[in-house]
Amino acid sequence: MSFKCQKTKRLLSDYIDATLSERQMQDVAEHLDTCRTCKREAITLKKTCHLLENFYVEPEASDAYYVAFTKTLRQRIEQSAPTALHQRVYEISTRLTWQLTTRVRRYIDRCLPTGHISVRQKMLPYYTLVAAMMALLVAPFALKLGTSGNNSEHLLQRLYAVAKAELFSTSTPVSRQPSATLAIQQDTAAAQPAEIRRNVSRNRTTETPMVDSSSDVWQFTDEPMAEGYILTTLRKNSKRTPPSVALDIDSELLTYAELPNQAASREYPTAREVLTDGRYAFLLLQGIHSGQQALQQYQRKWSQIDGFPRKLLDVPLEILSITEVYDSIEL
Amino acid sequence: MERTEALLIADLCEGDETALAPLIEKYKRMVYRLAMQITKNHADAEDVMQETFLKVYRAIHTFRKDAAFETWVYRIAVNEALNFVKRKERRQERSIETIAETEFEAELRYRTTHANDPHVHAEKSELRRYVTEAVNSLSLKHRTVVILHEFEGLTHAEIASILNCSEGTVRSRLHYARKKLRTLLKPYVDAAAI
Repeated sequence: MSFKCQKTKRLLSDYIDATLSERQMQDVAEHLDTCRTCKREAITLKKTCHLLENFYVEPEASDAYYVAFTKTLRQRIEQSAPTALHQRVYEISTRLTWQLTTRVRRYIDRCLPTGHISVRQKMLPYYTLVAAMMALLVAPFALKLGTSGNNSEHLLQRLYAVAKAELFSTSTPVSRQPSATLAIQQDTAAAQPAEIRRNVSRNRTTETPMVDSSSDVWQFTDEPMAEGYILTTLRKNSKRTPPSVALDIDSELLTYAELPNQAASREYPTAREVLTDGRYAFLLLQGIHSGQQALQQYQRKWSQIDGFPRKLLDVPLEILSITEVYDSIEL
Repeated sequence: MERTEALLIADLCEGDETALAPLIEKYKRMVYRLAMQITKNHADAEDVMQETFLKVYRAIHTFRKDAAFETWVYRIAVNEALNFVKRKERRQERSIETIAETEFEAELRYRTTHANDPHVHAEKSELRRYVTEAVNSLSLKHRTVVILHEFEGLTHAEIASILNCSEGTVRSRLHYARKKLRTLLKPYVDAAAI
C-alpha cells in the first residue's frame, strides 16, 4: 500500500461527510479516480453509512410512558425540595441573590453604550482580578499609613506623603512586593482590555474551542491566571461557600465541601480514564496550581509510564473547564 | 400565550417551576432516545432521563444564556448516560444485555462467514434488527459518537463540545466505528446498492 493510499484511507470518513477542506476533497477525489482499492473502500464505507441511515431503528417510547415519567419526575422534584426552615431560607436567599445580581448586570448592560464589553459572568472574574490588583497595589501604602504617627494630618495628605516617600525617595530602597503579587501584576498587565475582549468573544462562540497542535488555548487558559490562582480560589471558596458548586466532573456537580473527600478517596483518578476531568481535578487538588504545571505533570507521567495515553490534544479542554468552574464569580 | 424557550429558561432561573414542564415536553424524546441508545436498557434509560432533567432543573442558573440550550441538555444527557454505564461496569454487573450483545456479535460473525447472499433471505425487518444490533455492539465511546453524528445529526465540533474532547478525537472515533460497522455488516454492505 502506497503512502498516498494510507493517507487517503485516513481521510475517507471525513471525505464521505464532506468535512474536509476543498483542497483535501479534490486530492482524495483525484486519488480515488486512479486507485481501485481505495475506491472500493470508499464505496463500502459509503454503503455502511447508507445502511445506518436507512435501516437503524431509533428507540421510541409510548405517550403513556412519557406521561408516567413526567409524573414521577415531578414527585422527585417535590421530594427533593427543602423542608427544614433553614434550608428554605438558604434556598430563597440564594435565588434572591441570583435575581438581584442578574438585574444589576442587566441594568449596567443597558446603561453602557452599544458595542461595549457586556458585564456578564465571564467578565466578572477579570474585574475582580483588577480590583484585587488595585487592592494589592494600595495595600503597602495603606499599611505604612496605619503605622505612621502624625494623626493630625488629613487622610489624603498622609496617603500622598507615604506614596511620594515610597516611590520617589532615593535614600530608602523601594520595598519589594511578594512574588505572588508580582505574578498577579504581570498577568493582569498582559490582560489588557483588547485581550480580554478577544478571549471572551472566543469563549462565547463555543464552550470548548477547537484544539489542535498549533492552538493557543494554553495561552488562553493560563494567561489571565496568576500562579496559584486556582488553588487559592479553591481554598478561599471552600471556607466561604462550602455548599456551592465547585466542579463539574462529567456533569456530576460537586460542592466545595465534597471535593477534599473525593480527592482523598482517589475515586476519580482510578475510576476514569487518565486524562478526564476527574484526573486533573485530582492533580489540581494535590497542589498543581496552573494549567502549565498540569501540562508538565502530564509530560512527566507520559515519559515515565508505558502505555500512558498519548492524548495531549485533550488536555487543554479539561484544564479550561476546571479553570472556569473554580472561578468564584461563576457561582 | 406560549412562552419562548429563552423566556422559559429565564423563568425557571427565577424559580418559576411551571417553566420546567414545557422544557421537559420539548426534550423528553431526545433525552430518552440518547439514554436508551447509550445504556441499551429501558430501566437504565429511565434513570438517566430522571437524573438529566433533575440536573437541568437544579443547575439551570449555571447555564450561560449565550450558549445553545439544546447542546447543554445534550451534554448533560450524554454525560449522565456515560457515567451510568461506567458505574454499572465498575460494579461488574454484567447485564443480560451485555451477554446478548456478545452472543449477537458471535452470531453476526458466523453469518458473515457463512451466508452467501443474506440480503436475498433477510427481510427488511431483519436487516433493521441487524443494523441496530451492530450499532449496539460497538464500544461505548464509538457508539456514542455514531449516535450523535449519524442519528442526531450533530457536527464534529458540537460532539467535541458535548464529550469534552478534541474534534480530532471525534473524527478518529467516528472513522474507526464506521470501519467496525462495515466489518460487522459486510454481507449486507456488499449487497447494498446506494
